[in-house]
Amino acid sequence: MSNLLEVKNLSISFCTPYGEVEAVRDVSFELQEGEILAVVGESGCGKSVLCKAIMKLLPKNAKLKEGTIKTAGIDITAYKENEMCRLRGKLFSMVFQDPMTSLNPTIPIGNQIAEAVLVHNPKISKADLNRRVIELMELVGIQDADNRRKLYPYNFSGGMRQRSVMAMALASSPKILFADEPTTSLDVTIQAQILDLLIDVQRKLNTATVFVTHDLGVVARVADRVAVMYAGKIVEIGTAEEIFYDPRHPYTWGLLRALPAYSKGSDRLYTIPGTPPSLIDPPTGDAFASRNEYALEIDYKEAPPMFKVSETHYAATWLLSEKAPKIASPMIGGKHGN
Amino acid sequence: METKTLVEINNLTHLFRLTKSVAIKALSDVSFSINQGEILGIVGESGSGKSTLARCLMNIHKPYKGEIFYKGINICDKKQFAANKKMLQKNRQIIFQDSNSSLNQRMSIREILAEPLEIQKLFKTAAEREEHMRYHMSFVGLEPRFLDLYPPEISGGQRQRVSIARALEMRPELLVADEPVASLDVSIQAQIINLFKHLQEEHHFTLLFIAHDLAMVEFLCDRVGVMYHGHLVELAETKELFNNPVHAYTKALLSAIPVPDPRIERGRKILEFEGVDMTVRHDFNDIGNGHFVLQDEGVTV
Ligand SMILES: Nc1ncnc2c1ncn2[C@@H]1O[C@H](COP(=O)(O)OP(=O)(O)OP(=O)(O)O)[C@@H](O)[C@H]1O
Ligand SMILES: Nc1ncnc2c1ncn2[C@@H]1O[C@H](COP(=O)(O)OP(=O)(O)OP(=O)(O)O)[C@@H](O)[C@H]1O
Ligand SMILES: [Mg+2]
Ligand SMILES: [Mg+2]
Repeated sequence: MSNLLEVKNLSISFCTPYGEVEAVRDVSFELQEGEILAVVGESGCGKSVLCKAIMKLLPKNAKLKEGTIKTAGIDITAYKENEMCRLRGKLFSMVFQDPMTSLNPTIPIGNQIAEAVLVHNPKISKADLNRRVIELMELVGIQDADNRRKLYPYNFSGGMRQRSVMAMALASSPKILFADEPTTSLDVTIQAQILDLLIDVQRKLNTATVFVTHDLGVVARVADRVAVMYAGKIVEIGTAEEIFYDPRHPYTWGLLRALPAYSKGSDRLYTIPGTPPSLIDPPTGDAFASRNEYALEIDYKEAPPMFKVSETHYAATWLLSEKAPKIASPMIGGKHGN
Repeated sequence: METKTLVEINNLTHLFRLTKSVAIKALSDVSFSINQGEILGIVGESGSGKSTLARCLMNIHKPYKGEIFYKGINICDKKQFAANKKMLQKNRQIIFQDSNSSLNQRMSIREILAEPLEIQKLFKTAAEREEHMRYHMSFVGLEPRFLDLYPPEISGGQRQRVSIARALEMRPELLVADEPVASLDVSIQAQIINLFKHLQEEHHFTLLFIAHDLAMVEFLCDRVGVMYHGHLVELAETKELFNNPVHAYTKALLSAIPVPDPRIERGRKILEFEGVDMTVRHDFNDIGNGHFVLQDEGVTV
């Protein structure tokens, strides 16, 4: 197993009239061939910016302030647009959060998928191209593909658009796939089908996937490892088992507690108190401190480092320091609802 | 408390014409009603007509056949609609599934939120309006500083919350919410679901909640309808539907609910659903206590 993607100390900021928005702060992770890393975290914490930063798809007011990005051992941090163009669609592709932004409203869906196939395989014959388009559409569960490929995005339902974008991303058999909330408008049967497809592709092509989602059921199904983000940082990372059965960061506890399964029989769902900090001038200490019922004095002064829990499991919370009082997770070990 | 009907939908059928000879039947003979003050969930297959139903309810699509009554007003009738237009446009609000593309990218969040309030002339002074907007932003977990930003400057979930605030600030009687929380983190989801419950309890607000997250639907909704291939195939009280699903599609759907537990989830097999022949005549039968199921004609209960 080798690292296909290596991100080290990456910091990304936006220059805005109101100040510098520190959207990604000192993020490091690796991704191996054939691995699925799920990224979860609060709305606005930098998940989409992180993916787009690696693919260099951010607007001009975004600055890479620090850090390196390596793919298959090659440092691409300083790559220019023409070099990136060659990598996109071949080495990596992305399923964007909002399918309408990656679909052209004036071109039939089938032609758009065909275009994605052509990037990867420009010499394909016309008949083979048509066959491949229909095959890809069927693969993502779009029925009656031969007729539907002639339709336009606005003729499709929300979930059918999302699946078309997925088909486009898979068309190029990428080595690294960024999937930003690719299943939010799919019913659970089709969702399971798409996830199984993704796992299948993963195994066949040894693709490495960064899978951004809010659905912890989806995470449980597909993820090998999970990264939990808060206010621009990865605050906890580990295998799926470690994150679900032995979470260490109070923010991760909060996320798991907010699931409806934890509030069965009660009238209201649990919510994490307070709101996330502004990313303009974020607090000096732990950004989660003001919402953390277990916060220590040091949380307000100094940002915690990543403490090692196991070879694969790290969490950035002072609760893991030797001097901290021992606090048991409010989660009942391994019990997830029902 | 006596139940009053807010919306009545009779034999709603909708076609999308693609060419002279080709049409997609997005809704087939759908009938049900929404009670005042209830939260009705709509779940179902992707492409089964949920968003089309929502759009018909909001007068965005004119149905091919059938009628929709809102408080007794036939909103598909041009004259009746015109006579009640102002009331209908204030009292019914929608959160679109693709809400991001429904936000004008060149307007600031403040302008986006102010626009419907201005059209309806709900406030005398700008200060009152500003306070009202800030109040609703805080409901969805956004600080006032977001009012000065533009949609491309904020995250997907932040934009989604602007859409929710824009609908709620009108204090609608009926909110049609098409996948309102799927793009939000679970804690914000919980906050907004709790808010919906609060509005229902305190303000007797009515919600049509279209969603794929069945655990959330089970938590929030009073009744749930299941759609498949343009048909409403089952409708029942939430508990009844989850404990005693009758239609084959409902059973398959419920078997596929993902569980946030890797050991269980990875091993879980999903019921194969072979599909139902929808071309034969079906009836929407009450099998007791308001539990409706679409069944082949000739099936006797
Ligand atoms: N403007 C349109 N023109 C043509 N066909 C359309 C149009 N809008 C929707 N359809 C078709 O109508 C059917 C129902 O679509 P609808 O968007 O209502 O589904 P949905 O239940 O909301 O699905 P999803 O869960 O994927 O959002 C689909 O087959 C879709 O392709
Ligand atoms: N073009 C931009 N200019 C200024 N700030 C931006 C821009 N794009 C994003 N941001 C800010 O950067 C932060 C991270 O945004 P990002 O889209 O990565 O969030 P996210 O984690 O994907 O959230 P969500 O789950 O809501 O999609 C947000 O707080 C957002 O307001
Ligand atoms: Mg995002
Ligand atoms: Mg829809």
